[in-house]
Amino acid sequence: MARIIGGIGTSHVPTIGIAFDKGKHDDPDWKPLFKGYEPVAKWLAERKPDVLFFCFNDHATTFFFDHYPTFALGVSEEYRIADEGLGPRPIPSLKGHAPLSRHIARSLVNDEFDLTIFQDLPLDHGLHSPLSMMWPSKPDWPAKVVPLVVNVIQHPLPKPGRCYKLGIALRKAIESYPEDLKVAIVGTGGLSHQMIGERAGFNNERWDLEFLDLIERDPERLARMSLEDFMRLGGNEGAEVIMWLIMRGALAPGARKIHQSYYLPMTTAMAVALFE
Amino acid sequence: MKYVFDLEMSARALRLNRFLHGLTAKEKRNLFLDNPEEAMKDLSVEEKDMVRRLDWKAMQDYGASFFCLEKLARAKGVSNPEMVSAFRGETLEQFLKTRKVPGAR
Repeated sequence: MARIIGGIGTSHVPTIGIAFDKGKHDDPDWKPLFKGYEPVAKWLAERKPDVLFFCFNDHATTFFFDHYPTFALGVSEEYRIADEGLGPRPIPSLKGHAPLSRHIARSLVNDEFDLTIFQDLPLDHGLHSPLSMMWPSKPDWPAKVVPLVVNVIQHPLPKPGRCYKLGIALRKAIESYPEDLKVAIVGTGGLSHQMIGERAGFNNERWDLEFLDLIERDPERLARMSLEDFMRLGGNEGAEVIMWLIMRGALAPGARKIHQSYYLPMTTAMAVALFE
Repeated sequence: MKYVFDLEMSARALRLNRFLHGLTAKEKRNLFLDNPEEAMKDLSVEEKDMVRRLDWKAMQDYGASFFCLEKLARAKGVSNPEMVSAFRGETLEQFLKTRKVPGAR
């Protein structure tokens, strides 16, 4: 049977991918960020998951407002890298685990999560800006992904509690897959930031650290909060951390955080955390 | 104004957002860079004017999604901190003074 070996929470700021592509590993402005991902990369290299299940959002790149799904699951064998205005990043296409995706789709719909299903669509930085910090992309990615795209950009967004419940259903879906697979869950987004309005540039370090504590210790408290609470505390765009709740819901209730890094250089607080 | 991108805003600015989103397609982006008036021919006079002037604040107030504006910014070589400064009504230099690591962009 498939089993969940751990979880990762990570920011997905586009500049993370750009810093990687430009080789800024030793640039003093970026080094703390790269250092923060090293324990996660090491864990992945040692534990060798067969699949990374990614909870992330599209940034009006592949999906547009003529049809914007709330939860969309990819079921392809391959996902191209999306062009976000600068041409696609110079990284290989992502390999999908289509049979696991299809199984998860059936299981989640059976549990009343009525997903949109997509295939043969390119994926944007929401997935691969953090991925290239954690997984070697040369000569190719070491294993496969399953992408879950969550609407966190056009309101109404799913409630935080709904995301957490989706994670619990996701655990059941993965653990009922008959093949022996090691799966790690990645929840992306945040932490605090606001890109728009007079409050653009807003951050809240105190709330970020509290969130990083609660996501380990008391995720149900986070799941009971309203989306408005998340927006007030972490900024309008920072509310996307509700995608970490999907990851956390899929882990065992007693999962422990074994690594955490936090870096706030510019507009968005960049965090990565590892759970086992 | 709370700047929540909701269904009202999405409906109001659908045409502008569709144009901005279209810049993810290389051929549309190249057309815009080579012949902006032709690329913008379906936009209203007001929309064209905001795009021509790269008036980020005006486009935001009109209902442009930040994530659609990012496509225009990338095509024109404008960074996110520059857009954020415009929303705040500051110059980039003023905004960077409020940041911990101004070089990280």
